[in-house]
Amino acid sequence: MKRYSALGTVGWQVLICAVVLSVWQWGYDLRTRLPWLVPDLLDPYFISKPSMIFDNFLIQSCLISKLGAFNGDFGKCLARNENNLWAATAITLKNTFFGFVTGVVSGFVAGLILGRSDRLSAIFQPFITAVNSIPRIALAPIIVLAFGIGDMSKIVTSWIVVVFLVFFNTFEGARSIDEGFTNAARLLGASEWQITRTVVIPSTMAWVFASLTPAISFALIGVIVGEFIGAERGIGRLIIESEARGEASGMMVAVVVLMLVGVVLSAIIWRLQAYLLRWQRQRGAE
Amino acid sequence: MSTLETSVTTSSRASAERRVEVKGLSKSFQLAKTTIEAVRDVSFDVRRGEFVALLGPSGSGKSTVLNMIASLIRSSGGEILIDGKRVVPGKATPDVGYVFQRDTLFPWRTVGDNIGYGLELSGVPASERKERIAECVAQAGLRGFENAYPSALSGGMRQRAALMRTLIVEPQILLMDEPFGALDTHTKIDMHEVLLRIWEREQQTVLFVTHDLGEALTLADRIILFSARPGRIKDMFEVDFVRPRDAVKVRETEHYAELFQHIWHSLGEEFVKGRSV
Repeated sequence: MKRYSALGTVGWQVLICAVVLSVWQWGYDLRTRLPWLVPDLLDPYFISKPSMIFDNFLIQSCLISKLGAFNGDFGKCLARNENNLWAATAITLKNTFFGFVTGVVSGFVAGLILGRSDRLSAIFQPFITAVNSIPRIALAPIIVLAFGIGDMSKIVTSWIVVVFLVFFNTFEGARSIDEGFTNAARLLGASEWQITRTVVIPSTMAWVFASLTPAISFALIGVIVGEFIGAERGIGRLIIESEARGEASGMMVAVVVLMLVGVVLSAIIWRLQAYLLRWQRQRGAE
Repeated sequence: MSTLETSVTTSSRASAERRVEVKGLSKSFQLAKTTIEAVRDVSFDVRRGEFVALLGPSGSGKSTVLNMIASLIRSSGGEILIDGKRVVPGKATPDVGYVFQRDTLFPWRTVGDNIGYGLELSGVPASERKERIAECVAQAGLRGFENAYPSALSGGMRQRAALMRTLIVEPQILLMDEPFGALDTHTKIDMHEVLLRIWEREQQTVLFVTHDLGEALTLADRIILFSARPGRIKDMFEVDFVRPRDAVKVRETEHYAELFQHIWHSLGEEFVKGRSV
């Protein structure tokens, strides 16, 4: 692959952002002069405007009380709305985290066990295929019905979309372990548990990590869908409320916050992966 | 079974004590619907401290025999005794070390951690482990690479590290499956030197699988020649070059040339047969 200068790449990225944001901000204003050029979709009623989104963000986050005035009492503002932007983000993040962690852990353990046992994988194979064929999101209303509109239903929805993803990757990884590695360990006197710990788990890690970046997005999707269906708090709830008021900028604020949350979580996974799989990076001096 | 008539003067080290006994060993396996007979009725003994090469063309079942001795695969018939005890398939025999053809260093462990793996398994404390790893690293000429990952090493370096990973637990019996097969000639002869020096010092009992006659002659006390499939023992040859041997100089002697020619003919027949199978 040809290498491009980092500065040039960043330059293009800034330019693309500037163009997209400008069209979003001022595009609809051109409609009076060039009606044939501007589609209806650019109407701020639907998609708001960057400046409006920013103002709305400041108000929702209690940084200002009304336009042009800094907030005198941050705490009082927060207390007025139980589902303020900060609290909503915190609750969505918390549920995403639990859904993600339980999904990853249970998917990993199940994948490891079935991947290492021909007998168990033969028994469970048809069930897994069947359950995997259900679009998991379709279960969200049932889950909300069963677990209520509290946090548990969001965690379960999130878990159910994550667990299969991680399971299948771990399963494949555990199946494709190089027999040379397990034989080498066995001949050096490793017990089955030692083989699992020192050979199976590390060599499956690359497969597991390949599933974690999509898994974190899926976990977030699971929570948001759960909140759409029934919740008292959370970012998904904020979106539903803004939609009911026909307030595009309110929805957009929530979407932008979700985007930022997603980026940060992916970055954390990426850093963790770079550290744990650092042995994959050294390529070299033959 | 004819044995080359040579006086066995230098093998005084090899006492009559048998460490490995292979009796009537056979192995067949199913491939699609046909049964392939890989090994037929193979019997031999290996004495304590003896260096035996199993030589033969590919497909002659020599690696299969080694893997059965290593407990990696199950035999179809016959038995294997190590120090008088039966080998159980799937269960590692203590005191037996194995070196693979393809180095199986764990890519997620550094070179030092790979070498120390066996000690870690048996719960040797970290400080002692560190010392012994350092010794092995020095012996293998890998100083400065302890903290590198295997992917950064050359083929020869990796194979030396793999050898040390096996040797650090001080196995008394060493099974080697074409360990230097993938190396270039030069690196291979370097490895012969490394192995000879270690063996002279530690006096392990070695079973060394190879299809390279020169390698077998350089290293072994005795060569067991396998026939093309189904693998049987075709012949045995004593290799009586003086010890300690020099991996390069031994090849320049007249006696080496004689032995080489003698065995080469017999081996050559099997290579031709192996091709027609």
